[in-house]
Amino acid sequence: MDSEGAMLMHDAESLDDNFYSGDDSDDADVIMYYDFTDNDSDDSDELPSHHRFQPNYTVLTEADICQRQEENITQISTVLSISRIAASILLRHYNWSVSKVNDEWFADEERVRRVVGLLEDPIPLPDAKELTCGICFETYPSDRMSSAACGHPFCVECWQGYMNTSINDGPGCLMLRCPDPSCCAAVGQDMIDLLAVREDKEKYKRYFLRSFIEDNRKTKWCPAPGCEYAVDFIVGSGSYDVTCRCSYSFCWNCTEEAHRPVDCGTVARWILKNSAESENMNWILANSKPCPKCKRPIEKNQGCMHITCTPPCKYEFCWLCLGAWSDHGERTGGFYACNRYEAAKQEGVYDDAEKRREMAKNSLERYTHYYERWATNQLSRQKALADLHQMQAVQLEKLSDKQCQPESQLKFIIEAWLQIVECRRVLKWTYAYGYYLPEYEHAKRQFFEYLQGEAEAGLERLHQCAEKELQGYFEAEGPSKEFNEFRTKLAGLTSVTRNYFENLVRALENGLADVDSHGACSRAASSKSLGSGSIKVKGIRGKVIGCRSSNSRNIDDSGHWSCDYCTFANVKSATVCQMCQQCR
Amino acid sequence: MANSNLPRRIIKETQRLLSEPAPGISASPSEDNMRYFNVMILGPTQSPYEGGVFKLELFLPEEYPMAAPKVRFLTKIYHPNIDKLGRICLDILKDKWSPALQIRTVLLSIQALLSAPNPDDPLSENIAKHWKSNEAEAVETAKEWTRLYASGA
Repeated sequence: MDSEGAMLMHDAESLDDNFYSGDDSDDADVIMYYDFTDNDSDDSDELPSHHRFQPNYTVLTEADICQRQEENITQISTVLSISRIAASILLRHYNWSVSKVNDEWFADEERVRRVVGLLEDPIPLPDAKELTCGICFETYPSDRMSSAACGHPFCVECWQGYMNTSINDGPGCLMLRCPDPSCCAAVGQDMIDLLAVREDKEKYKRYFLRSFIEDNRKTKWCPAPGCEYAVDFIVGSGSYDVTCRCSYSFCWNCTEEAHRPVDCGTVARWILKNSAESENMNWILANSKPCPKCKRPIEKNQGCMHITCTPPCKYEFCWLCLGAWSDHGERTGGFYACNRYEAAKQEGVYDDAEKRREMAKNSLERYTHYYERWATNQLSRQKALADLHQMQAVQLEKLSDKQCQPESQLKFIIEAWLQIVECRRVLKWTYAYGYYLPEYEHAKRQFFEYLQGEAEAGLERLHQCAEKELQGYFEAEGPSKEFNEFRTKLAGLTSVTRNYFENLVRALENGLADVDSHGACSRAASSKSLGSGSIKVKGIRGKVIGCRSSNSRNIDDSGHWSCDYCTFANVKSATVCQMCQQCR
Repeated sequence: MANSNLPRRIIKETQRLLSEPAPGISASPSEDNMRYFNVMILGPTQSPYEGGVFKLELFLPEEYPMAAPKVRFLTKIYHPNIDKLGRICLDILKDKWSPALQIRTVLLSIQALLSAPNPDDPLSENIAKHWKSNEAEAVETAKEWTRLYASGA
């Protein structure tokens, strides 16, 4: 056990070296930082974030959906001079694309009619007093028989059964054809309304409505549980992130929760990993040994090496060498050691299995590191969302009374909370990104961790300010003099944090391409004071403006000083931070 | 017995199957369950199954004719659309089922499937591969199996 423990510690250290670089060697004092305010100079064509989020989608209520569906049907029915029923069959067949229906129809009407099952000239029921149903083989008077446009007669009960089977089978019922296998005449909603039982008619209507969203390339249901809105998205219009009217944000492409800047593939892998048995298996592998007799995994959480498997097995064995306990005792080292194990280990007998356990344990620890942070930000976001709603619902009004401020003057608080919610979401997904960023991309890892670290620190300051400091103004007896200062500070932090996250998002979205990884440093460096000089960052918007050997990280060549509190780059002459009003 | 309330359709179909059997096909209901049929199909001429007598079982589920009958080969057969359990890959037994189809049409379709194997829509991956890579050899195996397992002994 001792040696195992030692090995673990060693691994944890080397892990630290790569991840957190607790390295304080002297070449780690090169400084670079980013001027997040330098927007107006050479890249003024870049728009601030709220302009980029111009909606490229529309949220639809059920009424909207019905209306659009009706409009499409009317349009096709008018243009092609066909019945509304025929128009809806056509539209469904061509996935509700009006233009596709038009194109196909006018290219080759006959073919379209054949494929979809729309007969040009309906054939009436055979002219006879009595007809035989093609399903139950019974003979009925012809007024109890029905047929699609093809004239194949079936009795009302059999139609009902046929429709019931099809409707219960799922949305395929929207493409129902005449039961006669040699016939492909379409059975439309008019026949369903005429012949199906009431419950089936309702189901059919639901499928019909759902089809309009689900079969259409441009629309999807909001995936939030219980939400009945759909989203109409302009395909190819940039960001996939959409926010439903129910306030749920999701990725239109993969319908997972919004995950910008991480791509859909990474998200899918991460989610699979979180839910996958593989992590359980790794845990079992790392922390348990199989009973030598019944092979059930056993976790040893305390006590001596004498293990008794649970009934019905009850096998007694030594935890270390997995041999029968009957061979153990004083001469093998007692209850807390095993000579046999030590001897065998020296000979290298246990190496493979031990090594596998060791590796599983390490990979599990690495995963746990990222998962914990992913999950914590998730929770934190949910809490922030709840706080935001609480703020909008009650708190703001209270504050308005107490501080004698009109509510319109308190918007900055809502903005701060919206920013927090958004940032928590981004931050959360950067941990999935980090997990999949290859170990060997040292430069990229360092740059990523630097950006992430800065963004996270900024967010913590903002969150702290919006949560704790604001609380003070609620508890105050009357209007506080400092409230205006607080406003400036919170608004400043909001804007600074937004900048950090925009940089982070942009850097991740272009795959950290700005890192020139040639001769990437093998040495680790602190996330604050980056690099041994071998990482080059090309002009992303927040440009590197200073890179000089110095022990004071607050001043760069051009004479700017960066605020310790919010990292805003102030002009040399300023003694108070322009952004957060902290003294230099 | 459960047969007392057998739908008229099943009775009619059974009567017709017995009185006018399709060529090369015989189907007779089991004595204790009128929904269970013992089926025999003769291997079609000019197919590798020629000369063979293939036993099948056919069952009409409660929902019949709204649901397809369940059919399975009992005799071992080397065919790309039939697996080693005798299950058959045939569209009208699945999504293309229509209540206007009958036992007779199903059995005729199975007979046709013996004449025209479809290795592009296989149920038995190995046999289909064999069929596509070396049809002559696969046909030999099918003939061999017919001799071994379906010689009507």
